[in-house]
Amino acid sequence: MIELQNISKQYNSIKAVNKLNIQIQAGQICGFLGPNGAGKTTSLRMLMNIIHPDEGTILFDGKEERPGAQHFGYLPEERGLYQKISVQETLNYFAHLRNVKDYHSKIDHILERFELRDRLHSKVSELSKGNQQKLQFINTILHDPDFVVLDEPFSGLDPVNQLLLKEILEDMKKAGKTIIFSSHQMGQVEKICDDVALINQGKLILSGSLSQIKREYGKTHLQVIPEHESDLDHEILKKNDAVIRAGAAYILLSEKDRSQLISRINSAFEIRTIKVAEPGLEDIFIQMVQADKP
Amino acid sequence: MTFLKIAWFEYYRRIRSKWFIIGTFGMPVLILGISLLGGYLTGTGASIETKYMGLIDETGIYGQDLVAALDQRYDEEDVSPLNIMLTKGSFEALQVQFDALVKEHSLDGYFVIPADFNANPHLKFYAQSTGTMRSTDIVGAELRQLLTHDRAEALNLPLTALEELFVDIDIEHYELGASEARDTEELIAGYVAPFVFMFLLFLGIFTGGQLLLRAVLEERSSRVIEVLLSTVTYNDLMGGKIVGLGMLGLTQSAIYLLAGVIAGYYYDINIVTPAIGLLYFVYFVLGYLLYAGVYIGVGALFDSEQEAQQAIQIITFIAVIPMLLWTLVIENPNSTLVNALCYFPPVTPFFMMIKISVGETSVLQVLITIMIMIGSVYASIRLAAKVFRTAILLYGKRITLPEIVRWIKA
Repeated sequence: MIELQNISKQYNSIKAVNKLNIQIQAGQICGFLGPNGAGKTTSLRMLMNIIHPDEGTILFDGKEERPGAQHFGYLPEERGLYQKISVQETLNYFAHLRNVKDYHSKIDHILERFELRDRLHSKVSELSKGNQQKLQFINTILHDPDFVVLDEPFSGLDPVNQLLLKEILEDMKKAGKTIIFSSHQMGQVEKICDDVALINQGKLILSGSLSQIKREYGKTHLQVIPEHESDLDHEILKKNDAVIRAGAAYILLSEKDRSQLISRINSAFEIRTIKVAEPGLEDIFIQMVQADKP
Repeated sequence: MTFLKIAWFEYYRRIRSKWFIIGTFGMPVLILGISLLGGYLTGTGASIETKYMGLIDETGIYGQDLVAALDQRYDEEDVSPLNIMLTKGSFEALQVQFDALVKEHSLDGYFVIPADFNANPHLKFYAQSTGTMRSTDIVGAELRQLLTHDRAEALNLPLTALEELFVDIDIEHYELGASEARDTEELIAGYVAPFVFMFLLFLGIFTGGQLLLRAVLEERSSRVIEVLLSTVTYNDLMGGKIVGLGMLGLTQSAIYLLAGVIAGYYYDINIVTPAIGLLYFVYFVLGYLLYAGVYIGVGALFDSEQEAQQAIQIITFIAVIPMLLWTLVIENPNSTLVNALCYFPPVTPFFMMIKISVGETSVLQVLITIMIMIGSVYASIRLAAKVFRTAILLYGKRITLPEIVRWIKA
């Protein structure tokens, strides 16, 4: 478990992180979200001991004493690899730096799993973007770290490899690792994370389990797709403040008049689809960030 | 010892690269080749264009002899860069015609031997450009010899007397207390060796510096720096880089010095004495560390190599001082200017190395300069560490001087 307690960091006159409190449970994947410039990178760097907070403490499994670097795995967004050396040299070097024992067999095994073994002697610059991303991920977890920070790990991966990466994350979760997953792809976050923490302007504005947050903050919409697109202008939709997006109308639902509204729309024009849409993390994200604007 | 792991990584991956091998062995060959070729070209006049010169001989005597003397000279030396068109007559009558020949580029220029040449020896030369100094010098020298012969004859001196009069003096160089004179190889080595030591030092220090700059820029632009810094400390990372790439420079120097020892053994000249070898490594390490701080600091400040190289140009300018002044140091190793420059840390190692190899320094001066260098290295590395720590993670941001000053003060 990682606990950030009242962490602050200031650059010149800008407070990049302002008294941030977050708890990340072991054996769970926590989605770390926020708009650009919210202070995510600064927070992750403080977590990784790359920079030091001006104030506040970070606890690891309840202790203030920081475990050795070999207990941490960090995948920064994009790149993060030497381009002119081979896959083997890259992994050997970092394994050596992190005091990994018997790393040759580990490297062999993990490259096999990621179908990269035949590229062992290839230069990193010769790998495709997807393969570079795989290599970077391998480099992050090769030493079996307890605390893992992943910044956009799915970037550049095809669906097959995304699935593989997800499987590995599930395995790590089961093994009790503490995983922080930072991404702008809300779909991925929803699929993978148990908890989310949303920060804006250096402050935490929302945190908790994904399902609970969706229940509390998510607004349920009625999605209506008419048979004839011209019906998107229908009086009944306008009266209910429908938002028109990509050939569908969305109406914010309140609990009491739900069935009445559905039957009224049903009789008003010919319907192709009508359904109650679950709240999306993206909507919650946008709504919360906009509400937080000064 | 994490920094040693980093040092080994930096050292090992570069020492195997073909560029290191080409650079180490190719550079001396290239420099030697260029200097030999240059010497050959200027010494023999090979590949220099033949000059077409007119010659108006008002005396009617010297022209013919001059052409014969020049022909003989070039026959003996197997080249013929001067082609003389001899005309007897007066300058006044021929001037218009010769000027026209020069203007239409049939002639590069023309000489006039005035009628009163014997009594009042002077030679006139008319040309559009002034780039004919070498040719006029040769013609002048030959003419002087002809005149000397003439005047000797006029004085009834036998020609053998001329040989008696014009003699070369052999200068023999002796070491203190030695009975045998130094031979030519030793004399040349004595003059060249200080330059070579300084140049090797220069090469090693700035090659190491440039590699450091690129290594920092590479990690910064590829963001490997973030992965590294989540694994190792800033000090380990910076220290590892400095040590690894410094070892590379040392390896290169060791190869050259070893070659010097072997060459010295072969020619029986003792150029690389143990004391010189030891001091070379001391000044190499100190000089390298001084500049390492600068290169690392600059590398951490810029996103692109182009910008970083521009910023580093000022450093390169300071470093050129020893390259410009090395002859001054060899000729006047104890002048006030040279001594003052020896205590100016950016050039201390280079000037001291010259002074040491010409044997014109004292133990005290060596010790003082080493102390000054240690102090400067400490300051340079400390400042670099502060800049590196703060700037290395600031991507895409133009950093101002006041900001740097603030980090250093922090």
